[in-house]
Amino acid sequence: MRSDNGRSGTGPSLGRRRLLAGTGALAAAGWIGGTAGGWVLRPRWAHAAGPIKMGIATDITGPIAPSGNADWQVAQFAVEQINGAGGVGGRPIELFLEDTASDPKTAVGNVRRLIQQRKVDVVLGAITSAMRQAIKDPIVNRGRTLYIYPQLYEGQECTKFLFCTGPTPAQQVDELIPYLIKEKGRKRFAMPSANYVWPQLLNRYARRVIEAHGGEVVFEEYYPLDQPEYSATIGKIRDGRVDCVFSTVIAPGLQPFMKQLYESGFQREGGIVTCVYYDENLLNYHPPQEMDGLYSCLDYFQAVDDPFSRQLQEGYAKRFPGTRYLFTAGSASTGMYRGIKLYEAAVQETGGKLGREDVAAALDHAKIAQGPGGGAEMVPGKMHCRMNMYVAVCKVEAGKPRYDVIRRHDMVDPKEC
Amino acid sequence: MLDVKLAFDILAFVSVMVLIVMGLGVIASMMGVFNFAHGEFVMLGAYTVFAMQEAGAPSWAGIIAAPLVLACLGLALERLVIRRWYAAPIIAMLGTFAIGLVIREIVRGLLGGHYKSIEEPVRGSFALGGVEFSWWRTVIIFVTAAVVAACWFFLTRTGTGLRIRGAIENPMLARACGISTARLYGFTFAFGAALAGLAGALIVPLYQLSADIGTRFLVQSFLSVMLGGVGSFTGPVLGASAVGAMAAGLPWVVIPVLADPLVFVIALTIVRFRPQGLLRQGRL
Repeated sequence: MRSDNGRSGTGPSLGRRRLLAGTGALAAAGWIGGTAGGWVLRPRWAHAAGPIKMGIATDITGPIAPSGNADWQVAQFAVEQINGAGGVGGRPIELFLEDTASDPKTAVGNVRRLIQQRKVDVVLGAITSAMRQAIKDPIVNRGRTLYIYPQLYEGQECTKFLFCTGPTPAQQVDELIPYLIKEKGRKRFAMPSANYVWPQLLNRYARRVIEAHGGEVVFEEYYPLDQPEYSATIGKIRDGRVDCVFSTVIAPGLQPFMKQLYESGFQREGGIVTCVYYDENLLNYHPPQEMDGLYSCLDYFQAVDDPFSRQLQEGYAKRFPGTRYLFTAGSASTGMYRGIKLYEAAVQETGGKLGREDVAAALDHAKIAQGPGGGAEMVPGKMHCRMNMYVAVCKVEAGKPRYDVIRRHDMVDPKEC
Repeated sequence: MLDVKLAFDILAFVSVMVLIVMGLGVIASMMGVFNFAHGEFVMLGAYTVFAMQEAGAPSWAGIIAAPLVLACLGLALERLVIRRWYAAPIIAMLGTFAIGLVIREIVRGLLGGHYKSIEEPVRGSFALGGVEFSWWRTVIIFVTAAVVAACWFFLTRTGTGLRIRGAIENPMLARACGISTARLYGFTFAFGAALAGLAGALIVPLYQLSADIGTRFLVQSFLSVMLGGVGSFTGPVLGASAVGAMAAGLPWVVIPVLADPLVFVIALTIVRFRPQGLLRQGRL
């Protein structure tokens, strides 16, 4: 940068060592985020026994914020509906929000506030598995509080007093893969994946289902989450004569992957791409032509033709007009709604008793007749719930992408615990 | 034919890296400031295209507007804050990092944290010998080559380039000769920012617009500048080519998760044995 020949004055001077020292200081300074207080949504009326206190711990800020804000809005929507209809056994629900800030370290302190200061009766929330792992101990073990986790995930969470209301690998894969193999004639699968726990465990399950149905996994590969270049992967897909890409690549590495796959002519030559977390939010992530023909499998799509689901969407749109945060399955919003309604059903059964053991015993076999995509029921002793699952394919019409639901499977078993 | 395709893919990614690194390299080499907000400048270039598109303008208009917008922003930032940090490069790093953070979080708010897809102005691909080549990547390769050539010509063959080099070689003497070094520094910073804006606008169709689009490239860009050597225009360009070629080529031979750190290991090993970088002799 500078020559050493007697440059005078206070000109720029920066050596490699000083650069390294500077970056180190930056890292050490860290970045401490999170909100200080949390939010409270009080009911409009009171009850002699006081309200039921419900804590929501979700990512209001940080990279996962779009999903977290959707969850928080759906929680408000569901609770306002319950309170508007007279509460649970006459008692209203009071909502407390803490921001988990897409950062497990910040989250633990904030979640503790829900337990210790707010003394909530139940906590719902977390989107990523890393977040669930971080906050489940402060809630369930040290906090002795009931915890409901709403997101689709990799399974294997069998902690007592922790109930999961999102789909498991079995629910997302058991119907989709046989459909692709039997109906669509797919034989050779590729599994490009982001390198973290959800793709790893989902792939392990999906591989078993693929092989059990006579398919073959050509390669299973993991990438850094923000990898910007995939020509090597595309080369393997081409050389391996792959006819179905089962992708678990996530943003920000997602878009360059999908673009390079599309540019290679994979779809044009008859290849199928499937990715089981694709919901309506993802429709805007890619140009329409790259989305055309993509298969997803979730517990709800806005295209599901069910009167109650339609009514929910209309109510949500009215409550949050023009919102950027959609009520969809991939953001855990449907699991959030389901969790709140299942909790309501459980408390109704206990006759208003809010003790953790009582509610957990009732929640263990709780049922709701209606919800986004249909009803749901907890599988007794398993802490996961049966729900309807839908296989959808993305269609593009006049430059606008949308999902068409092509198959509905009633009350699919989670096969966990 | 597949070898040609491989070469094309690597060349396309090398072009992306070179485009991104050029702005950073120019500012680091000319002014001694490591601009930690460089990633956010790239992101703002991308955001300009998105904003213009939302306003109904065609995407090529956004690509032309991006460097102009960033040049103005760069000039304003240099006049208001950056020039106070020339004497303290570490403060400059922390300060530009803070500026970057502010820009990033504002844009995150504007985008609602979502990712936005931007369409290429030239869509689709063409087939050659049964292999598909993307039009937009081809455009990027040629634009990069043109920009590199133009920058090199500007800095080494024009009067302004000569004055810039003079001001860096010996600011006191330059001032004594009647060259306004303050104005030149402002111009150089704006020029680097404009290059970042152009890079962001050109690459965003390949990725998706998000507040963090620049962060990913920032670390690799610094590695490129270190590898290439600070002090010349060609050094960082060479470094970026090496890092880009490794990042695109290594996943062919090792598993992708290993390829990422391996790029750093190889680059840092080279830096260990050539601490001055690949190019040092003969500053611009």
